[in-house]
Amino acid sequence: MATETGPSVEVDSGGMTSVALVVGFVVLQGVAFAAAYTTGRPTWYAYFMIGSTAVTAYVLDGSSFTVATATLGSVLVVALGLPLFMFVARQTPSLVVEKALNPDVHRVLYLGVYGPLLAALLSLGFGVPLAHLLSEGFPGQPLVESLVDLPLVVPHSVAGILILFGFGQSGAFPNVSVLGSMVGMVLAMTFVAAPYAVNATRESFEAIEDRLEYASRIHGANRWETFRRVTGPLAARGMITGGVLAWARAVSEFGAVAVVAYSVTFFYPPAGEKVTAQHAPVFVYNTYLQGGLEESGAVAFLLLAVSAVIFLIVRYLTNDDATGGMP
Amino acid sequence: MTHLSAELTSTFTAEGAEPFTVDAALEAGDEETVVILGPSGSGKTLLLETLAGFHGHEGTVTADSEDITDRKPEDRDFGFVFQDYALFPHMTVRENVEYGARYRDSPRDADELLAELGVGHLTDRSPPTLSGGEKQRVALARALAVRPEVLLLDEPLAALDVPTRQSLRDDLVDVLADVTSVYVTHNRTTARAIADRIIVMADGRVVQRGTPEAVFERPKSSMVAKFTGSNVVDLSSAPELKSLLNGSGPGAENPARPNGTSGQVAIRPEAIRLQDGDGDLRATVQRVVREDATNRVTLAFDDVTVEAFADHPPSVGSDVSVTFPRDRFHPC
Repeated sequence: MATETGPSVEVDSGGMTSVALVVGFVVLQGVAFAAAYTTGRPTWYAYFMIGSTAVTAYVLDGSSFTVATATLGSVLVVALGLPLFMFVARQTPSLVVEKALNPDVHRVLYLGVYGPLLAALLSLGFGVPLAHLLSEGFPGQPLVESLVDLPLVVPHSVAGILILFGFGQSGAFPNVSVLGSMVGMVLAMTFVAAPYAVNATRESFEAIEDRLEYASRIHGANRWETFRRVTGPLAARGMITGGVLAWARAVSEFGAVAVVAYSVTFFYPPAGEKVTAQHAPVFVYNTYLQGGLEESGAVAFLLLAVSAVIFLIVRYLTNDDATGGMP
Repeated sequence: MTHLSAELTSTFTAEGAEPFTVDAALEAGDEETVVILGPSGSGKTLLLETLAGFHGHEGTVTADSEDITDRKPEDRDFGFVFQDYALFPHMTVRENVEYGARYRDSPRDADELLAELGVGHLTDRSPPTLSGGEKQRVALARALAVRPEVLLLDEPLAALDVPTRQSLRDDLVDVLADVTSVYVTHNRTTARAIADRIIVMADGRVVQRGTPEAVFERPKSSMVAKFTGSNVVDLSSAPELKSLLNGSGPGAENPARPNGTSGQVAIRPEAIRLQDGDGDLRATVQRVVREDATNRVTLAFDDVTVEAFADHPPSVGSDVSVTFPRDRFHPC
């Protein structure tokens, strides 16, 4: 930052200044939001956020270009952030606690984490080899690429229909029950999540120089060993990123799961027996239809909290170098 | 102790480019260093990589009369030093050097080897923290650690600054004395310093092969002559020089005399002498460029220019007397 001459603030000296700046900005936004919310004028906060961003950009880097990009960008950030802030602010704590203690909600949350985990593992287990192939290139590759990216462009209810056609009762594996089963749910999740695992992993394979593979081979390692000792470890971050993205995608999947496996029966360790529940987004939708916005909001809040915690833990575990962020 | 012999043909196709065919034969005797010399895009790196088994090819590769054509890279018992080092970034220096140890019978000790190459103090460092010269010494240690039958080097000095390059080149001379090696470079100074034999490549083919002396002194074509640093003179544009070469005296018996007609001749700049008194002909000094221990002087006469070296630089624009040793001319 601040590479231009003129009225610019040193932000990168030791990072302390920049941390203080971020904390100060966040506190200011918090106070402003609290004030706007308690006085019943959240609209004011939207204007404040855009205005304060523009002023901050001007103070940090006086150029009109930076001020323009920051101001326009903040409009999108408001659109993304404001609903979340309002959502959190409007929760009724007693209702959230009530839902948090509800065994039905526990099952939903368990399923909402566990099912996507299986889908992410499946996506990686078969996606990593595919990603490796795609990174090396082969004849007819565009066809396979299109198939891999297909779930990104199909409406997800359509994805569910496709799965029922492919693997349902008159599909390829009639012996495996897909409709309303755990297998079906994981399959639906994998269908929509796999592209993320494949593409992120593929990018990390492509970022590895051919020469490293050559160096490994010529000094005695065969292809398996080269993958185990060189390309695999070097692509590990991409695989983890891909896995997390796939997991997150599966957690948020509604359409395909609602079509294929509206409610499923699965083994629930806390109860020590099989129980029946719905995938969290389906459950939230159901609660909304039956209990209204307040009820479903509390469940959604819990789901959001659990997802955020898991996401942060994974990010923390994989973020081993100081420069930060996943690739 | 390996005698390497190869005859390779391989065609490479890259998207949006014409197919490029490399077709070359090479032979390296026991502990001999063969340098593949050529300009960028001449296919020398592809030839080296094909030799290593990285690309499919036709033809044969034999090591000590054993056919290794169908062997995978990992089964060829080669070592390879890359231009951009290609060190494994997620391993320490020692782990890099020990990389191939588990696959070979009697690998060399990593610490010992690193110390020998002057980087013994870096064993626990991570490659991205090293300088270019240090990286290349580590890469060299990694290749030597597997006790390769043949050591392949792809422009190992090209990415280094001049002082680092010279010091590593000196060490390479010692290292290459004990191992059969094929060394790719576009740098004629390096080629002359380390080669037992030189192969000049252009457009995927070998255009000349021989000892450094033969290639540098008796280039077979103007391309080789220019690339190895010789002056190439078109005699039809240099009547004075032509009559000198065709005339009586020592030049009359010169086998290099281009049949009394116009043709191209090559002469090395270090063979041309500038002197105060009478020479073969007079030339105008066009440019003087200071080099390490000497001056590179551009001389103009007739309609041509040639380069020569002079310890004492003449002033630009002055007329000097020049002597051409007749026996140093070579038709090309």
